[in-house]
Amino acid sequence: MSDSSPPVSAPPPPVRTGFSRGTAVSVLAVAALAAVVVASVGLGARDIAPLEIVRILAHPGGSGYETHVLWAERIPRTLLGLAVGAALGGSGMIMQGLTMNPLADPGVLGIEQGASMFVVLGIVCFGITGVRGYFWLALVGAAVTAVLVHLIGLRATTGSSTIGLVLAGVAVAAVMSSLITLLVVRDEAVYAHLRFWSVGQLTGRAGVLSQAVPFMAAGLLLALPLGRTLNLLGLGDDAARGLGVRVERARLAAAAVAVLLCAAATAAVGPVAFVGLVAAHCARLLTGADHRWSLPVSMACGAVLLLAADTAGRLVLDQGEVQVGIMTAAVGTPFFVWLARRRDLVRV
Amino acid sequence: MTDKTIKTDEADQADKADGAGQAAETGGADARPAPPPYSVCPAPGDAAAPTTPGGPATDPTRAEPDATGPARAELLGRLRRTYRARSRRVTLTAVVLGLLLAGLLVASVLLGGLRRIEPGDVLPAALGLRDGVADYTIHRIRVPRALAALLAGALFGLSGALYQRVVRNPLATPDIVGISAGASAGATTVLVLLPALPLGTPLAAVAGAFLLVGAIHALSWRGGVDTYRLVLVGIGLSAVCSAYTNYLFTLAEEHTLAAMMRWTIGSVNGADWAGVTTLAWGLAVCGAGTALLSRRLDCLALGDEFATGLGTPVGLTRTTALLLGAAGAALATSVVGPVGFVSLISGPIAVRLAGPSRAVALAVPVGAVIVLGADVLAQHAPLVSPVPTGVLTALLGAPYFVWLLLRRRQEATP
Repeated sequence: MSDSSPPVSAPPPPVRTGFSRGTAVSVLAVAALAAVVVASVGLGARDIAPLEIVRILAHPGGSGYETHVLWAERIPRTLLGLAVGAALGGSGMIMQGLTMNPLADPGVLGIEQGASMFVVLGIVCFGITGVRGYFWLALVGAAVTAVLVHLIGLRATTGSSTIGLVLAGVAVAAVMSSLITLLVVRDEAVYAHLRFWSVGQLTGRAGVLSQAVPFMAAGLLLALPLGRTLNLLGLGDDAARGLGVRVERARLAAAAVAVLLCAAATAAVGPVAFVGLVAAHCARLLTGADHRWSLPVSMACGAVLLLAADTAGRLVLDQGEVQVGIMTAAVGTPFFVWLARRRDLVRV
Repeated sequence: MTDKTIKTDEADQADKADGAGQAAETGGADARPAPPPYSVCPAPGDAAAPTTPGGPATDPTRAEPDATGPARAELLGRLRRTYRARSRRVTLTAVVLGLLLAGLLVASVLLGGLRRIEPGDVLPAALGLRDGVADYTIHRIRVPRALAALLAGALFGLSGALYQRVVRNPLATPDIVGISAGASAGATTVLVLLPALPLGTPLAAVAGAFLLVGAIHALSWRGGVDTYRLVLVGIGLSAVCSAYTNYLFTLAEEHTLAAMMRWTIGSVNGADWAGVTTLAWGLAVCGAGTALLSRRLDCLALGDEFATGLGTPVGLTRTTALLLGAAGAALATSVVGPVGFVSLISGPIAVRLAGPSRAVALAVPVGAVIVLGADVLAQHAPLVSPVPTGVLTALLGAPYFVWLLLRRRQEATP
C-alpha cells in the first residue's frame, strides 16, 4: 500500500456518543433538580397543602403565616441549598480531577474546616459580621488549608498519595476543629450561635442568600470552562504541556476556583462534608470521564444531593430537624467506605 | 484467620521485622533450622533501636556456626550487656514518668486556688476524711478528675500501643479508626434513649467499640486486610459515628454544653468516683490481658508465618488483642469521651523514650502523662483554659500525626 493511496483502511471516525448520552444525562439532571426543588419547597415541619402552595406562589404579595413560611424561609433556603450544593459538587470534581484522587472532597481534605476556623477567628477576635466578611476570611482559610494539606499529602510516606492526602486532611481538620472549639468554648452564647460552623446547616440561613449568591455564582461561572483544562491535565503533565497547556498556571487556576467555591459554600452554611465526593462520583458514573460533561453534572448532582439531604433532615424528626451536615455524612460515608474498599485505591 | 490475614505494607513489614527478617534470611541461606525463638524475639528491638542500628541483631546468627567456646561466650556477654542496658533505660524511663505523673497529680489537685481550705486539710480531704468545702472541692471534684484523667490516659495509651503492635501500622489506633467514636456513639445512645440502665454507659461503649471493630474488619476485608484500607475505612466509619452522636444530641430534649463537649470532643470535666472505678477495673483487666498475651505478641511481631511456625495461634492472638484494645479504649471513652490522638502518639513516644522492647507497657504511663498534663493545661493554662481536654490533646497530637505521615522510615512503632 503506497502512501498516496486513499486511507480506505483507516478506522471510521469515533461516533460522538457524548451528545446523546449527554442529552439524556442533562434531562435527567434537570428532572432530578426540579423534583428536589419541589420537595424542598413543598415539604417541611409545617404541612401546607399543595394547592395552597401553588396559590401562594402565584400571589406572592399575601400576608398569611404560610406565605411568610414559604417566601421568607423555604424558597430562600431551597435556593441557598441549590447554590451551595452546586458549589460543593463543582469543587469536589475539580479537586478530584486535579489530584487524581478519588477520595478528594473539600470536607474530607479538611479545607472546609480550615475555612470555618478562619471565619470563627474573624467573628470572635475581630467582630466581623455579614457573609461578605465571612467569605473573604473563608477564602483565606481555605487557601491556606489547601496549600498545607497539599504539601503534607505530597510528602506523606504512606505508600500511596491517595491515602497520604486523606490522612493529611484528617490531621488538619482535627487541628482546625480543635481551634474552633478553643475559640468559642468559653462563651456559651457564642458557642450556641456558632455551633453551625462545626456542623453545616441551612436552617435560619435564608438571610445570607443575597450576600452569598454572587460569590457562588462567580465561582460556578469560572468553573464551567475548566472542563477542557482538566481533561488535558488528566493526560499527565508532559502530554498536557505538549498540547499547549501551561501546566502550572492551569493547575493553579483550577485549584483557585475549587478553593473559591468551597470557601463560598462554607461562608454561607458552614462545613458540609461528602457532598463533593458523592456528587463527583455520581457525575462520573453518569457521563464518563469527560470533564466538560462531568463538571456541570457534578454541580447538578451536588445540588440535588444537598437539597435532598436537607429535605430529609427536616422530615426525620417529629420536632426540630437534623442538620444537613449530619445528613450528608450519613449518606456520604457509606460511599466513602465503598470507595476505600476498591482494590486499586490502596496501592496506586 | 489465616496467616494472610493482615498484609502490611511491604516497607512497613520490612521495617517491623527488620532484625528478625534478616536473621531468618541468613538462616535460610545457610540451610540451618530457624534460630530459637527467645534469641530472636528481642531482635526487632535491636534493629529498630536508635542506639544499635542494625548490627547486633544480625551478627549473632551469622557468627553462630563458627561460634566455639570463647566467641560464643563473648557473644552472649554482649547480648547480655545490651539487654541490661535496655532494661536500665526502660526502668529509668518508667521512674521518670512515674515522678512526672505524681507531680502532675499534685498539680492537678492543688492548682486553681485553695482559698478556703487549710493546707493541712488537703491530704485528709483527698482521702475523704473531711467534710464541707474541702470534701466537696478536693474529694468530690479534683481527685476523681485527676485520677480519671490518669487512668483514661493509661487505657488510651495501652490500647493504642496494642493496636499499633498488632496491626503493624502506626496510624491504626482506636482514635483514628473510629473505635473511640463508636464507643462514644454507643454510650450516647444509652444516655439519650435508655438513661435508666445500670452500668449502661460503659457496657454500651464496649458494645459500640466491638461493633465498630467488627464492621471495620468486615468492610476492609478483601481476601486479607490491607492496613491502609483499614485506616481509610475506619476514618469513614468514624465520620458516621460522629454524625450519629450529633444526631442523638439533636434528639435529646435538653443537651448541656458539657455533655456535648464530653461525647464529641472528650473532656475529663465532671468525672466522678464511679467513673474512676470503671477505669480502674478496665485498666486492671486490659493490663492483665496484655501481660498474658505479651509473649505471643512478641512472636507475632516476627511475621505471621514465623509466628505460626513457633506455635503461636496467630488469628486467636490477634483477635484477642484487638478486642482487648477496643475494650480499653471504649471504657476510657465511656468516662472521658473520645479524647483524640492519645492512643496514636503514646506508643511512638514510648518507643522514642526507651526503645521498642517494652513499648506497650511504657505507653501506659506515657498516655497517662499526656492526658493528665493536657487536663492540667486545659484547666489552668493562660489564654486557652478552660477548654475540653480533647481539644488540647488534638492540638498536640495532630502535628505528631502529620510528623508520623511525613517521616521516611516508619521505625517507631511498638
